[in-house]
This record gives sequence, C-alpha cells and structure tokens, in this order.
Amino acid sequence: MKQIPDPASALHIRADELWIDESNLVYSANESDTYALEEALLLKEAHGGEVVVVTVGSARTTQMLKDALAKGAGRAIRVALEGDGDLDSNGMAHLLAAALREEAFDLILTGLQSDDAGHGQLGPMLAELLDLPHVTLVVATDIEAASIKVKQELEGGWFQNVTLTLPALLTIQSGINKPRYASLKGIMAMKSKKIRDVQPAGLGIDPQQLAPLQTVKRIYLPIKSKETVFLEGSPAEVAAQLVDKLTNEAKVL
Amino acid sequence: MQSGVPIPIPPLFYAFAALATLYFAYNLRRAAAARIGRPDSRAIDWWALIPNAITYGIAQRKVTSFKFGYASVMHLLMAWGFMELFFATSVDFFVERGWFAVWLPAKDTPWFAAANEVGGLALGIGVAMALWRRLPRNKPALLPNDAFSGRGSLLGDVGILLVLLLLAMGGFMTEAARLAIEQPENAAASFVAFSLVGLLSLEMWHSLQPALWWSHAALALTLIALLPQTKLFHALLAIVNAALTNHAEMGQLRPMHITKMMSDPEADLDSLVLGAGQVQDLTWKQLLDAQTCTECARCTSVCPAHAVGSPLSPMKIMQVIRKQLYDQTMGGKEAAELIGANAITAEELWACTTCGACAQECPVMIDHIPAIVDMRRFLVLSEGAPPEAAASSLEKTAQHGNPWGFAHETRLDWAADMDPPVPLMAQKQDVDILYWVGCAGSFDPRNQSVTRAMITILEAAGVDYAILGKEEKCTGDAARRIGEENVYETLAHDNIATLDRYRFKRIVTACPHCMQTIGRDYAQLGGQYEVVHHSAFIEELLEAGKLTPSQTVDGKVTFHDPCYLGRHNDQYDAPRAVIARTAGQDAMVEMELSRGESFCCGAGGGNMWYETKSDERVNLARFDQAIETGAETVATACSFCLIMMDDAVKVRGKEGAVAVKDIAELVAEGLTRDG
Ligand code: SF4
Ligand code: SF4
Ligand code: SF4
Repeated sequence: MKQIPDPASALHIRADELWIDESNLVYSANESDTYALEEALLLKEAHGGEVVVVTVGSARTTQMLKDALAKGAGRAIRVALEGDGDLDSNGMAHLLAAALREEAFDLILTGLQSDDAGHGQLGPMLAELLDLPHVTLVVATDIEAASIKVKQELEGGWFQNVTLTLPALLTIQSGINKPRYASLKGIMAMKSKKIRDVQPAGLGIDPQQLAPLQTVKRIYLPIKSKETVFLEGSPAEVAAQLVDKLTNEAKVL
Repeated sequence: MQSGVPIPIPPLFYAFAALATLYFAYNLRRAAAARIGRPDSRAIDWWALIPNAITYGIAQRKVTSFKFGYASVMHLLMAWGFMELFFATSVDFFVERGWFAVWLPAKDTPWFAAANEVGGLALGIGVAMALWRRLPRNKPALLPNDAFSGRGSLLGDVGILLVLLLLAMGGFMTEAARLAIEQPENAAASFVAFSLVGLLSLEMWHSLQPALWWSHAALALTLIALLPQTKLFHALLAIVNAALTNHAEMGQLRPMHITKMMSDPEADLDSLVLGAGQVQDLTWKQLLDAQTCTECARCTSVCPAHAVGSPLSPMKIMQVIRKQLYDQTMGGKEAAELIGANAITAEELWACTTCGACAQECPVMIDHIPAIVDMRRFLVLSEGAPPEAAASSLEKTAQHGNPWGFAHETRLDWAADMDPPVPLMAQKQDVDILYWVGCAGSFDPRNQSVTRAMITILEAAGVDYAILGKEEKCTGDAARRIGEENVYETLAHDNIATLDRYRFKRIVTACPHCMQTIGRDYAQLGGQYEVVHHSAFIEELLEAGKLTPSQTVDGKVTFHDPCYLGRHNDQYDAPRAVIARTAGQDAMVEMELSRGESFCCGAGGGNMWYETKSDERVNLARFDQAIETGAETVATACSFCLIMMDDAVKVRGKEGAVAVKDIAELVAEGLTRDG
C-alpha cells in the first residue's frame, strides 16, 4: 500500500517545481490500494491464511498501516524511508522485492496505480523481480486450490478471464469490492499487532538499482486551454458553421 | 359504589386473598428482569423520586401533553377510576376491622359513597370508550397488531378491558345488593347502585347476594394475582419508571470514555461494551423503559421517519427490546439478539433523526434515542457497518475534521475577503464571546452566508468576539449520533483542548447541534462551557438596543423549530422574538406542528450524511407543511435545517416564490439596509 496526499488536499507546487509542497498536507491510503487490501481480507476470510500489509515510506505511514491492521490485516512490514518522492517505481519495486523475498507469500495484491504519480508500473515490475505471474486491472478473483482465476478489465468494455498458478501478483482495479469501515473492535485488536520496520540498508540492494530511471524535469498545473464558442442561428446555419470549423480550424474533417 | 363486604368476612376469602397476593408477588419477578442490564451512568434523582411518581405516574401529566383528546380522556377516566376504586376498597377493608377508624370515612358517609360511585362510573365509561376505540372500524391505524405486540399478553388488549368492565359492573351490583338488604340511612348517596336496587325484589337480592359478592371478589383477586402478566402491568411500572427517570438527562447519550480506556494501559478493554447488540448490553433503566411501554403508539404517531414511510417505529423498538428481554430472562433463550431480520433491523435504526418527538410524546418517560443510538453503536463500533455514505463521511470527519471532507486548510476561506478581518482567538486570547462557526458555517456556501451575517451582527453591536479559525474542528455531533463514539470522542477531546487554551465568557453558535454538543455533550468529557444559541444572543443584543435592524421580511413568515434548539434544549421564544423585530406586524404564521411538536427537517442524527429508504423525504414533507401556511419566508435557526429547507425549495420548484432564511440573515440584512 502507498500513502499519498489526500485527494481533497489543496496542492501547492514546491519552489523548485520538481514536486509538490509536502508541508501541511493530509495523507491517506491510495484508493486502489484500499480495494487491494479489502480483496486480500475477503480472500483470507474465505480461504484462511494471513494478510500482511507492506509499504515503503516514512513514519507518517503508520496511520495507514494501523488502519489496515484495524480492518483485519495480521501484521505490517514497512521499508523505512524518509519521504518517497525521490524513488521511482523501479526503485520501489527493488525495495519491495527485497523485503518480500524474506516472506513466503501465496499472493501479492497491489492497487492498480498510485493516485499521485499514476505510473501503474510497480505491480508488473515487482512481479518480474520476484519472477511471479501477474495480471493487471483485476476486477474479480476466484481461488481454486493452487491457482487463482481472475477477471481482467480490457479496453472498451471488454474483459478476459485468466487463470494463474500461485504464487502470483495481481494489481487491483478500484471498485472490485466495498472496502470496509474500521470498527472500534478492530482498532482495539490492532493494538496488539506489529509493524516491522525494515531498513533498506539491511536488504543488501545495490544502490545503483535504486537510482531513478526517470527524472522529473518540472511539474506544473495543467494549462487551461478550453475555449467554448456558441454557434448561433437556425439549425441549418449552425450545422454549416460547425462543418466549417471542423474542417478549417480543428482540421478533423 | 362499594364492594359491600359481608360481615363477618369468610375465612375462605382470606385464603384466596393470601394466595392472590403470593402469586402477585411471584409475578412481580417480571419487573426484576431489567436487572440483567448494565449499570446506568445516569444518576437517580432521589429528591425527585416521589414528585416524579406523583406527577407522571398518578397525575399522568404526560397522558395529556400535546395530543389531548379522546384517548387522553379515556385513559384518565380509566386510570383515575381504577385508582379511586382501589383506594375505596382498601378503606372499606380497614373500616370493617375498625383500623384507623378515626381518620377514615365510614362506608356510608354520603360524600365517600358518592365519590366511590363516581370512581366506578369513570372506570366503566373509560373502558367503554376504549372498547369502542378498538372496534375494527374505529381502530386507529397505529394501534399495533404485529407479532411483537405485547398485546399477545395474557387476556390481550380487549380481554383486559372486558375484565375491567365486569369488575365495574360487578361492583355496582354487589353494592346494590347490599343497599337492598341493609337499607342504610344514606343509601341514596350511592346513586348508581341505589338506582339499581329497584330492578330486583328483595328476595332476589337476598338469594343473589353471595354469588355477586363472591364473583366480584374472585375476579378482583385474580386480576391482582395476574396483573404483571397483563398489559395492566404498565400501570405499576409507569409509576416506578417515572420515579427513577432523570429528567435532566432525557435524550442525552451515555458516555463511553473510549479514549480514556484506550490510553490507559491498565484498562481492561474487554470490559468495554461496544454498543447494544443484545438485551443485556442496554442499561437496566433502558430495559425498564421497554418493559414499561404501554403500546399506546403515540411515539410512532409523531415520528417523522414513520410519517414518510420509513420502516422505523419507536414503539416497535420498545416492544422488541421487551420481548427479547422476557425471552431471555423467563423464556429460557440463551442470548436474545436485538438486531436482525426478526428483531430490529438496521434500516429502522438508521432512519431515526434523533428528533426527540417520540420521547416528548411518551406518557411513561421512555427515552428512545439513547437506546437507538446504543444499537447504532453496536453496528458501527462492533460490526464496522455504518451506512455506506455515512462511513465515507465518518472517515472524512476523522481525516479532515469536517464531514464534507474539504481540506482543513480551507476552513477559513469564507473569511478571506471580510473587511475588517475576522478576529481570531489566537490573536485575541481573551474575549467576551467566542463565536463557534461550525463546519456548515465554514464550508457550506448557504451557511457561509449565515456566518457572514453573524459577523455583521457582532461587528454592528460592537461585541468583543473572536473565532477559532483553523483551530476549530467538527464538534462530532453527527459522528456521535451515528454511533461512532470513538471518532466523536477524538474530536471532542481536540476541541476541548483548544477551547481550554483560551479565555472567553460564552460561546455563541448559529447551529443547535454545535450548541448541544459543546454545551452538553462535552460536559461528559470534562469540557464545561456556557453555549448560547445565536437566536438567544441576537435577542439579547436587540433587547439591549445594540442592534436596530430595519424590517426585512415582507409578507408572511413561518418558523421551523430545529429539534435541537426546541425539543432538546427547550428554546422556542428567542427566534420568534428576533423574527418579530424584522418582520411586519402579524407577519408570523405558525405551522400546525410547531414549537415542541415540530416535525424534524430530516437531517438530524447524522441523517444529513446518508439516505434511508422511505416514500418521501422528510425535508420535503416539512417544507410542504411550511408553505401550507401561506408563508413566503421560511425562517429557521439551524445549519442543517437551512440546508434541508433550501434543498426542498429547489425540489419543489419554489425558488423565487419562497425564501428560506436563517434568522441571523434577516437581522443582518436589516442592518446593511440601514447602511
Ligand atoms: S427520535 Fe424522532 S425519528 Fe427517531 S424514533 Fe423518535 S420520533 Fe422517530
Ligand atoms: S414508547 Fe411510550 S409512546 Fe411509544 S408506545 Fe410505548 S408508551 Fe407509548
Ligand atoms: S437539522 Fe434542524 S430540524 Fe433537522 S434535526 Fe437538526 S435541529 Fe432538527
């Protein structure tokens, strides 16, 4: 799971224009990650096992992890890092892969993409590093013994069913389920659950692998370039004007 | 009318009487069923014990209330008649033995004889009225007939009335026989029985007398023995329940002290009962409440949720609690669940707006809201199952400090262009009035206009005031009434810490929900503040001559009483006084349901944040009542009422024709018009 600036926050661009100003921001769990967590909890409730929530981030991710534990995850692992703005998906995938190798997972679920950076790459990269089969954009899951059947969303309203052998990795589409509300009972149970911090240095990763493969040159607010023109006159005149504009101005006809 | 005890009283009667009393005492164990409930945090007001028992139990003040009519008369006749006869029979009994003879009237003292006849008549007429009302064709729609009706109690509803009728008639007949045989000097004072004497010959009275006497005595004793199993048990329980009621706490939710428990490493978290999922999770007083329910349906008849076709019926809630309680304590059921398809459904619980109309109407001091919210607490705190939209709003409240989920950063944006700038507590530290803006006042565009109006008023009257600005957070009202006590307590502790950093004399707020929460709920967590609603405060300023608004309302105006201002906090006059100063003479038109009888706007109890199924939305029903008066201005004095009424104007397509205004806006417009 990834913690991101809450979508309701008022965002300001940092003076160097390379990232947003992170002071005074409220952070929350990335949306599709909350669906991934819920899917994991549902699978656990149906088939048994344990849900472990894993993140890369600073101490402020504690709130998100506690929330996941309150909802029913059994324990949490955090690859401790001060700020995560400098790591790209590749770096994060390497950190997570190193941390996950120590565990024996049957299934790794991630959100489809983070709502801040929006790359959507972490899942597939992680799967490659761990040498696991993976499917992105999953909208339904069904475990059958040692394999899992999933429904993947394709373009244009199409879907396909894929069966993978476990262990496997899925990236979950928002809307696959209804994330639960953390009950006080869950919050009380959370008190005895553990968050384990893993230091990146202890993972034995070549720092070269963490070096960003992509760099942000500048971030800026989208430039508004919308222009609305009202065409007036009788329907026939309007139609004629529209054809004219489409051919000569928009050059689409 | 008197029972006409033959002298000497046969020993067999004593044997019967002893048996009946024993069985009655054994039956009284039903009352003790409530002891499986939890201890109650509400203190019993020992000084008020007897006054309460007399006012509500004997004098039955609440049987009349707003709904004085057929049913009130019917009940008072039966109850007082019954009490009088009980008294008379006891007196007779004592007099026969010469006990307390100095103080007691003799059987044939004319006024006593006449009084007893009146008692018998009252009972008879009352019972006849009740039977008439229960004829299928006269039956009010709300009289219960579902599986939970304790009318499945011994003898049911009509059966017990017939027994009472027989008792009254038997009493008269027995007395007539006595009068015929003994021919006492003042026989005519027993005017009903006396008129019956002529019906039969003396011989016949002689031969009938023993049978009459015995049947009357047997019926009376049997009724006493079985009373706790019949619906008449309410007569006893109502007196006890009214006596034990803490009136000041009615409607108040009981504190849970979750934060304290969670931060105390010693605390036994398992001892924290997370709301009421089973009967024993309610307090003994709540269980006693349910046992006392008379099934009069008055609560349901005034419930706004019920009125718009939602499945909620506060009476049914009480019936289910009682049924489950008896099932568990005397029916041998292990654990009786309160919530479920065959008990109270979540849908019913969520439909409640906590408007308080039910408790206000209830003749026997039942406090429905806390029981309903305790069950909501179970759904939220234990099951993690608030309505979907409410869950999202609760998460936003916890995350951003406001239920809309606006960025906390923007809380003060409404004041950005205010001139002069709005003073902040952080700058002033010590003021007369801390103006609590509230979430609606900060973020909702319609209510921002009320906030600006309040600032205009505070400035114009030269009040020494300041606001908390970004230090303010949601009071937690909605969270609390949804049952999310954990989120509420967290917010409450934050706000209390903030308020305690500053010095101020009073808090003024335009939102009755904020007033209720800060002024009354926070006290349970150690925050003691004097909170004044803006209506009272503006009235104060007007009275002191600090504001002289010009008339701003043209045409008729009606006022919608916010439940948390009126019913919950008993304030009805201040907003009307304020309106009177801004409207023309005789401009005020009252709705049929106004003041204590007000019909909720539908937003309370957290309903602002989720939808429940019903045939009609509550706010539309209320708005229709408002425009029925012919008013062109619907005034109110609550942030959420304003949103609800404003929404209704749009849905009903009355924009332009009907204005919805907060009273502060009416005043402020009159100030700015002056220039
Ligand atoms: S508080 Fe209001 S809405 Fe709730 S049950 Fe009572 S009357 Fe109905
Ligand atoms: S709760 Fe009160 S008002 Fe409602 S039916 Fe019972 S006694 Fe009557
Ligand atoms: S918004 Fe107003 S009427 Fe509606 S519940 Fe609150 S106080 Fe009652």
